[in-house]
Amino acid sequence: MAPPKNAKPAPGGRAITAFFKASPNSSQTSQPSSALEPNKRGMLGASQSKASIAQASTSKMQDVIMVDDSDGEPPIQKATKPRKSALLSSSDDESPQKKVVATAASRSAAHELTKSKSKARASLPAKMEADSEDQVHPRVQKRKKPSALILSSEDEAARKLSPPKKKAAVSNGSSSKPKARASLPVKSRAVDDDDFEMVSTDEDTPIIPKTKSKASERKELFGDDSEPAQKTKVKPRASVQKTVKRKVEDDESKVIGKGKTETQGEKKPNWAAMKAAKARGPVAPGSKTVPDGEDNCLLGLSFVFTGEMSSFSRDEAIDIAKRFGGRVVGQPSSKTNYVVLGEDAGPSKLKAIEKHGLKTLNEDQFLNLIATRKGSGKALDEKTKKKMEKEQDAIKAAAKEMEKNEKKAMEEADFGAGSSKAVDPSTQLWTTRYAPKSMKDICGNKSAVEKLESWLKDWPQSYKASFKKPGKNGMNMYRAVLISGSPGIGKTTSAHLCAKLAGYTPIELNASDTRSKKLVENGMNINNKSLDSFITGSNSASGSVGSMITDRTCLIMDEVDGMSAGDRGGVGALNALIKKSKIPIICIANDRQAQKLKPLMSTTFSLPFSKPQASMIRSRILSIAYREKMKIPANVIDQLIAGAQSDIRQVLNILSTVKLQSDSLTFDEGKELSKMNEKYTIMSPFDLTSKILGPYLFSHTARETLGDKMELYFQDHSFVPLFIQENYLKTEPAKIRNEQGPEKELKRLMLMDQAASSISDGDLVDGMIHGPEQHWSLMPLHAVCSTIRPASFIYGTGAHYGGPNSMSFPQWLGQNSKQNKLSRQLSDVQVRMRLKVSGDKNEIRQSYIPALHPHVVRPLVEEGSSAVDEIIHRMDEYYLSKEDWDTIVELGVGDQKDELVLKKVSAATKTAFTRKYNSSEHPIPFHKATDLGKAPKKLAAEQAPDLEEAFDFDEIVEDASDDEKNDQDAEDIKHDRLIQTSKKKGATVKGKAKK
Amino acid sequence: MSLWVDQYRPRSLEDLHYHHELSTRLRSLASLASSGDFPHMLFYGPSGAGKKTRITCTLKKLFGPGVEKLKIDQRVFLSPSRRKLEVNIVQSNFHIEITPSEAGNYDRVVIQELLKEIAQTQQVDLNAKQRFKVVIINEADSLSRDAQAALRRTMEKFMSNMRIILCANSTSRLIAPIKSRCLLMRVAAPNAEDMQAVMQHVSKRVGFDLPPDVASKIIDDSGGNLRKAILCLEALKMQSPDLSGVLTIAKPDWETYCHKVADLIISEQSPARIMEVRQKFYELLSHCIPPATILKTVADRVVERVDDAIKADVMHWAAVYEVRMRIGSKKIYHLEAWVVKVMSLYKHFFYGMDLTEFD
Repeated sequence: MAPPKNAKPAPGGRAITAFFKASPNSSQTSQPSSALEPNKRGMLGASQSKASIAQASTSKMQDVIMVDDSDGEPPIQKATKPRKSALLSSSDDESPQKKVVATAASRSAAHELTKSKSKARASLPAKMEADSEDQVHPRVQKRKKPSALILSSEDEAARKLSPPKKKAAVSNGSSSKPKARASLPVKSRAVDDDDFEMVSTDEDTPIIPKTKSKASERKELFGDDSEPAQKTKVKPRASVQKTVKRKVEDDESKVIGKGKTETQGEKKPNWAAMKAAKARGPVAPGSKTVPDGEDNCLLGLSFVFTGEMSSFSRDEAIDIAKRFGGRVVGQPSSKTNYVVLGEDAGPSKLKAIEKHGLKTLNEDQFLNLIATRKGSGKALDEKTKKKMEKEQDAIKAAAKEMEKNEKKAMEEADFGAGSSKAVDPSTQLWTTRYAPKSMKDICGNKSAVEKLESWLKDWPQSYKASFKKPGKNGMNMYRAVLISGSPGIGKTTSAHLCAKLAGYTPIELNASDTRSKKLVENGMNINNKSLDSFITGSNSASGSVGSMITDRTCLIMDEVDGMSAGDRGGVGALNALIKKSKIPIICIANDRQAQKLKPLMSTTFSLPFSKPQASMIRSRILSIAYREKMKIPANVIDQLIAGAQSDIRQVLNILSTVKLQSDSLTFDEGKELSKMNEKYTIMSPFDLTSKILGPYLFSHTARETLGDKMELYFQDHSFVPLFIQENYLKTEPAKIRNEQGPEKELKRLMLMDQAASSISDGDLVDGMIHGPEQHWSLMPLHAVCSTIRPASFIYGTGAHYGGPNSMSFPQWLGQNSKQNKLSRQLSDVQVRMRLKVSGDKNEIRQSYIPALHPHVVRPLVEEGSSAVDEIIHRMDEYYLSKEDWDTIVELGVGDQKDELVLKKVSAATKTAFTRKYNSSEHPIPFHKATDLGKAPKKLAAEQAPDLEEAFDFDEIVEDASDDEKNDQDAEDIKHDRLIQTSKKKGATVKGKAKK
Repeated sequence: MSLWVDQYRPRSLEDLHYHHELSTRLRSLASLASSGDFPHMLFYGPSGAGKKTRITCTLKKLFGPGVEKLKIDQRVFLSPSRRKLEVNIVQSNFHIEITPSEAGNYDRVVIQELLKEIAQTQQVDLNAKQRFKVVIINEADSLSRDAQAALRRTMEKFMSNMRIILCANSTSRLIAPIKSRCLLMRVAAPNAEDMQAVMQHVSKRVGFDLPPDVASKIIDDSGGNLRKAILCLEALKMQSPDLSGVLTIAKPDWETYCHKVADLIISEQSPARIMEVRQKFYELLSHCIPPATILKTVADRVVERVDDAIKADVMHWAAVYEVRMRIGSKKIYHLEAWVVKVMSLYKHFFYGMDLTEFD
């Protein structure tokens, strides 16, 4: 169920959905708002003349809101307070610019003020809107769910305190400083206008690139505008920091107030808490738009995010910070510039904030910061500026050097042209063209590369010392090294480079060469007995690769773990080669732990390469980009590197692809690209389950679409449903977080009921998929029924590792195979009893086994070995063997559970029983077809067979017992191989068991 | 010595104790058989009613005592995916008895191959009373649709060489074409008097006096299952040889266990309890108790113990989930879903009552 395309706004649109795949939620909301667009326009017209008219039309707005929220919020609740929400949302539409400024908490209060002082205030916005009415319209259209904003819990409380009817009287704590409040929106509005203007121009002329100077646009806008606007424009620029600071203060007071209302709520939990919980639901994702701040406006700032924000998920918020050039770190430290606080912020982070005296922002302040801060490092202090300049210079220098090197190489090639034609660098792949040429070009793993180089340099000495001197790193004890690490981090490149730098000629063998035992041995002439080269080779001593093998040769065995079935014995031969090699060998593999590489563990020095950090790769990529005359900001590069998981090769490949089309790359394009080239990380079913059942996948800020969620199922479609079923009861459902007492229990049972019935549905679907019809096209439905839907009810914390309800592996698998095993054993019993008993398998289990129990099992418990004869007699009566006796015991449940019963039977009795049984003859109803003609296996005498074995070799065991008797009367068996009757048996039985 | 239930099983149509009408009918059918007029038959009825006994008696009437000389053979069939299927076949010289459900999903292969093979060979024993052989198909109601379809044409085509006797608990799962090709023989569960008579007969044969009140107690407990009743009688006799005093009829292990599960459901409704119940269900299922039986037993017990108001609901959901269980493959999912449903119902009812009483 992909979200409809129309949910995506036009290019350049700054609605939040532009950054992220529209969630189904937002796709729903976008339609009604666009449908009602004329309505709003009309309203705007009204607001031009008089604000009060706008209020009159709130009833219309009410309708809009109710449509908008119908998915999350029961309409009844809305209906009870239409006035409030209408009021607030209409304010949003009247003056959308204010929105960014007003914090969620102060919104209602601020609005009240707006109303009361409408004369003073309305003049400005009205004017501006009159000028730019055309542009207002797209903006309004894009606004998602304005009403949702006000439904956060603080608002609820705030509104309670200040009933809507009392317009002028603001009883809130903020009433003490109405002046500051009133001035605040005005100040920042100008800045905001600027962003607003950006949007509209983008809408009108979407082709215009973003780099177009904003100053001119601003001039346009403010040129049209009258004096006051100009004034305001100047002011906020100067006092941005001040504004922010005041905001922080404001907010602190807010926080206190909020705490107060919350404690009030707790005393009376029933209404306030429930309302708050209900309000929490629709706190809409995408309700706030990201302001169109200047590029790199957060440059040089570092952020820490904590807690959950009302309209962005954590990932999105981090993304936003990054896209404007900010740095996001995990833990607050003294160097952190801002901490963005959300709801339920982590206590440790709060402590750190206090300790370091850090500045905190809430969501709106954060957005405000983006909107107001100057871009491109203008707001930076000298130090960072210099640092950045230095970096720039370094990049330029590196790029120059690259160019120089390339030219030099060309010249050299030209000079020595003859055999090999010079390759034009522009035709080369970027990965070869920009492959590192010197040690300092290698990104990351510096120490590993240095080790490798020194080892190679020392190799001849080590060889002379016959690898007895360990050397600095202990590496000189080894003739070979094994480099391991994930793809694309420069293992092969480093190996080649090191070999060259150490004066070796690298010979590379990789997965494209056959490397079977024979070829490795012959090609490398390990045993020194091959005369191959003397006979065939034109060169005196060439290896299989065709180049001379001298003492200055270095063998690079690339992709050792790729030695597959075709390379039989390859690893072994390689190991043999390593043991007596006279040249250094570098083996390269992705996974050092692979079973295949076990032999190499002891003979090679392990040199793990780790993924380089983004900062290590960044400068290199930047200089390459510079060299290629591409304009790519650093944060985009970071994005790409993160997306490729530090795979340098992939980043280069992506860039070279981009280069074919354009010379620049924006953040969003970069994000899309890296998403496209995303490496799928394989998650274990455990990880998948904790993700699916965890509190985040279905929380209101989650941005995963249904498709994304289903993707989790498809990662392992056979296991995930089993895991979900096993663990779905272990969560603490987030949906009932705010309930208490019996209410909570009832709700919880209801949720579990829904989940369980959905799982039951899933099984029905599964039946259709795996049944005779094989409707594989139902897989998505199965994903939803078996996994997504149950999880959507009971998601929450709790079902993770280590907790009291830690996740467990599905029992179903084990229980099912146990059931199959016992059922097979039971049918063996049934078949044997069939000659006497008419019942089917179920009858045997349900009636006969309980009835036989007192006859064949209990006497052993009660009477011990004296009962053995009687029991064996009874068993012979029903053609039961000793193994069937075991089955009967095993099939017991409850009091007759096998463990309980067997515990009561003494070991001596058991042995006596087994011995007695094996030493006497027993009637056999039939032989298994599969066992006929097989040589019977002898079991160790007197040893009670393991149940598992007894099952597998059921009949063979019997044969063995036959065989023991074969010595005594072999003739008898020859006569009647199929059925052997015991001498004890009566005439009737004999007659029946006739062949 | 065998259990009484097997030892004193009637061996001829004349010995049968109840459903005399049915016996007469079978007798006349068997006597007509020599003229080739013996139909395919479908015996159906609850377990422990005497279907198999009647089939055996009919066979004996048809072929004489030779049919009692049974042997068991194991045949190996190859499934289309070359998997080996082992099927046990019980046969005499005159008839063959198969349980195709042993082959699971591949019962069609067994039906096709085995029936054709039998149908294509004629009776070689010149002394045989009838020219046809009889194939008994056990658990016919668990035959897959494919297997039933495979039966259809075979039943008509090879009428001269073979008769088929189907044995099933209920006809609901059999397709109509099969039913229409068979003579339907309903073997109903015996009523209390019939059972009383049989049990008195057994006790006389064993050689003791059975007090009628003990017998009726056993009959009450067995629910029309004569096999169960006689097994019960023997167990009781073993427990207290003189059948006096307060007799408690020992329930089979699985039934006690099911009741335990029901008590767990009633006593607490919480996720932890559900998991406990799940564990118990797994235990029962893995020990070869059919899920439908589990659900029925547990539901019966739950219904006994809950308030009248939700009895109907409990049973309704049990029925719903039983159907789902039959369609689906992982039985435990449906059992658990039912448990959660019942717990939810119970809890809601519990608190609902609280509110109405105290508010």
